[in-house]
Amino acid sequence: MTGDVVALTAAVPDVALLADAFGRFFQPSTFARLVVEGLGKAAVYFIIAVGLTLVFGLMGVLNFAHGAFAMLGSYLGGVLVVVALAGGAGPIASIAFFVVAAAVVFAVMTVVGGALEVTLVRPIYDRTPTYQILMTFGIGLILEETTRIAATLRGVQPEPPWLKARGTLPGFLETRYDVLGANVRGFYVFEIVLGVLVAAAVWLFLTRTLYGLYIRAGSEDPEMVEALGVDVRKAFTVVFGLGTGLAAVGGVLLMWDPLWGASVLLNIEVLLYAFVVVIIGGLGSFKGTLVAAVVVGVADSFTTWLFSTGIVTFSGLSEVTVFLLLVVVLIVRPQGLYGVEEVGGH
Amino acid sequence: MTDSSERPLEVEETNRGTRTDEGWLSEYARDHVVHGLVIVAFLVYPVVYDLLGRSPLASEAAAFLPGLTFMIAVLYLGLFAMSFDFVSGYTGYLSFGHAAFYGTGAYAVVLATNGKIPGVPADTPFVLTMLLGAVLAGVLALAMGAVSFRLTGVYFAMITLGFAQVLYELVRNWGYVSPNPSEGATVDGGALEVGVPYVDSLGLAVGRLTGDSFENVLGTGFDVSATMTSYYALALVVVVCYFSMQRIIHSPFGKAMIAVRENEERAEAVGYDVFRIKMGAFAASAFFAGIAGALFAGYSRSVSPESTYFFLVTADALIVTIVGGIGTLAGPLYGTVFHEWLGDVLSTEDDGIATYLRETVPEGLLTTDVGGVTFADVINSVVDGRAPLYLGIVFVLFVLFVPNGLLGTVRDRLGGTVAERTGDVLERYRR
Amino acid sequence: MTLLELEGVHTYYDESHVLQGVDLAVEEGEIVALVGRNGVGKTTTLRSILQLTPPREGVVRFRGEDVTSEHTHEVADRGVGWVPEERRTFGYLSVEENVRVAVRSDQDFDALREYVFDLFPALERFREKEARNLSGGQQQMLAIARGMVGDNDLLLVDEPSEGLAPMIVDQVVEALREASAETTMILVEQNFPLAMDLADRFYLLDHGTVVESGPTADVSADDERIRRYLSA
Repeated sequence: MTGDVVALTAAVPDVALLADAFGRFFQPSTFARLVVEGLGKAAVYFIIAVGLTLVFGLMGVLNFAHGAFAMLGSYLGGVLVVVALAGGAGPIASIAFFVVAAAVVFAVMTVVGGALEVTLVRPIYDRTPTYQILMTFGIGLILEETTRIAATLRGVQPEPPWLKARGTLPGFLETRYDVLGANVRGFYVFEIVLGVLVAAAVWLFLTRTLYGLYIRAGSEDPEMVEALGVDVRKAFTVVFGLGTGLAAVGGVLLMWDPLWGASVLLNIEVLLYAFVVVIIGGLGSFKGTLVAAVVVGVADSFTTWLFSTGIVTFSGLSEVTVFLLLVVVLIVRPQGLYGVEEVGGH
Repeated sequence: MTDSSERPLEVEETNRGTRTDEGWLSEYARDHVVHGLVIVAFLVYPVVYDLLGRSPLASEAAAFLPGLTFMIAVLYLGLFAMSFDFVSGYTGYLSFGHAAFYGTGAYAVVLATNGKIPGVPADTPFVLTMLLGAVLAGVLALAMGAVSFRLTGVYFAMITLGFAQVLYELVRNWGYVSPNPSEGATVDGGALEVGVPYVDSLGLAVGRLTGDSFENVLGTGFDVSATMTSYYALALVVVVCYFSMQRIIHSPFGKAMIAVRENEERAEAVGYDVFRIKMGAFAASAFFAGIAGALFAGYSRSVSPESTYFFLVTADALIVTIVGGIGTLAGPLYGTVFHEWLGDVLSTEDDGIATYLRETVPEGLLTTDVGGVTFADVINSVVDGRAPLYLGIVFVLFVLFVPNGLLGTVRDRLGGTVAERTGDVLERYRR
Repeated sequence: MTLLELEGVHTYYDESHVLQGVDLAVEEGEIVALVGRNGVGKTTTLRSILQLTPPREGVVRFRGEDVTSEHTHEVADRGVGWVPEERRTFGYLSVEENVRVAVRSDQDFDALREYVFDLFPALERFREKEARNLSGGQQQMLAIARGMVGDNDLLLVDEPSEGLAPMIVDQVVEALREASAETTMILVEQNFPLAMDLADRFYLLDHGTVVESGPTADVSADDERIRRYLSA
């Protein structure tokens, strides 16, 4: 495309600027800040993607409703925090209530996801994967429009992001702190903590529970698991529910995130980014999703910084980088970083 | 080639060929009776709609029938959806980045007309810039396909989506396009003409405001508005594109595409060059998607990344393809008719059910309060602008209960394509 | 007592009619071999018993009860184990975890684990290893163990010697003999002498139906009636 050429020529850097930025880049503080911010973004990417990878791993269903579940989660979480925290609350109370809200949303949406699986997705397992993509995409459409209607009726603009919900973010998470020699906003640290907690919880579930064992076995060979006396259909329902719940928890986090915010646009945005992470990591691989989230998060943070220094004047640098990563990984290693060669054969 | 599944088709073809002694022309005509009927329906629709608008049923027509601007959208979006079905429905490779080709066609027209494509003068006729956009889209497809067709299934869908999103972000942030690239770009010059290049009398200017209009046509007292001219001009291009695609599908190349869809390994085993077939199909479908994008740009005279390169543009094509019938080529056009009809009657942009209800339902009933909710509130919240919701519901119901779509189901019932079956039925009645 | 009965079973893969009326019966405690050329429906018979590919016609009875409309996991729960072709162990699960998947909820996992390692001592030192790192013979043993731990009364064993070195085959045969002391077995095996050696009775399949059957004692591969079905 001619687009690339001109975009790149427009981005030819100024030598003096470059030297200056180069120097700054190797200042420990800049580097550390970019890493911490990158990990914060990675935590967000991980939380919004992990449910998608679990569902695909077990069922081979690429869930196009995943973004809609996150969107719904952001609004449900938003309603809860707005009601509870509108009058203002102390730092600890705010965090505690956020955790409660996330837990409630997780529970509700897990049930919703399970119910959707039983009623709408289950009837079409015997069809080609295309129809599962279509069905989940349709579910996403309906959820987005229903949310749009509900929000509008309650006097909330469905887009841009819902500021009132975002406004409940406690002040101490907005201020900057020195972490490991980096001066970063408290919210990034909060995101990293939450990301680590979610990753640990999912990992423990997969490796320490019987259901997790069935899921890992089922990801390899669902028919074999069924023949060993396990009701795999029930496992499908549970995993679809959990995937939905995890997406919704991601949504609750996005509701506070200054770069995202609760809006119906999350349906598509979350979906696209979750796809990128899950495919780079290898569809169905928990470890891959974790690593890919870090790769994408750090790449995002570095390219965002690169633009802010003026070295690159191309404003879409970060987004382009993320999707280019997807394309390059698919060309070089189609099964993703940790994917099994045969996953396509579901 | 001794592929057993090919043989019945060949036998059928031969039977059809030797069935009568009549010339091929009349047989061709008979096979295309249905196509003719559809074209006539599209031709007379604006006239009928116009007449209804002057009849006592004027408000009903405005409320329940799609307006002409929506029918124009049917043309370019329908062509885009058909091009999507051309590759996705016939080779089985879901082209989730199809919006990239539509966008390339659209942006090529705008940039060329604004003199921003080196070597292409600003006054190049629209028909040529349209072809330029389509060729660029085809070339883009070859580049994308060269790496993407090493993948299959979900991975193919995702890599094409990835490519399209990269282009979307580039176009959105590329200052060369316009001073405000994220908002898109507009055509600066005069009206764009569909017709024979460089021959003024054989061109029709398109555009809602810039198109040609004709008053009192042939002394019938009938006026052809600029919108109507655009409609016919675009329809002409779409018809040509449809028959081109239909020809390809019915050619040996089309048979090869279907063989790839049914079983790629076997297609390869019986001697097809599978990679070249996929590349050819992808490039051809991108070409027609580029034309669709160019028509959109030519008519609307403004393009934006959201309305061209974005994933949701592909998603809309996917939806109408499923509703109309995947792998039927014409089906997506009917799916688009349904989509646009729903969009029109459920919005107030060009009158619709909401407007109709507000005007016809007695004031008393409108404001009757039931538990804090009035009838007017209900209209506002569940009718006005709610097309996407009902479209989503219809879509899910189709996936569940009518997986072959409108046209696909009709074909299953008839046991063949509508055009063929109608030909056979007519044949029977003539004897 | 008759453990398993198939009566007029017809099974299809899409349009292809694979089993065209299979009748067979398996008594408690015996080993029954299914023999025949490739593609005559041996594996499909096992899949039909487990309802993995449900028959379109005919009845499958286990302990006299019709299981034809049940889900696979329900049939498995009645006490039917499966040792599939190509073993299909879970490669990314450890040996222990492979066994764990097959253990029913009302069973004692620790006891069964020790039982497996008693039966197949070769597996013990790999207990924490992912199964994909095991050799073919070890994977086959793991697959057999996995088929047995569910307290199964009937074990469906598909091509256990396929792709294994002769010395390893001997070990697997030994393992199957051990297993047969505990459970009834249906054995699908390409290696005709091996099958006749292990089994008490045989059914010979051709084109989706049973063409010969009887005790293994009175047949050899040289028999005219056997040979014309086995040679290609």
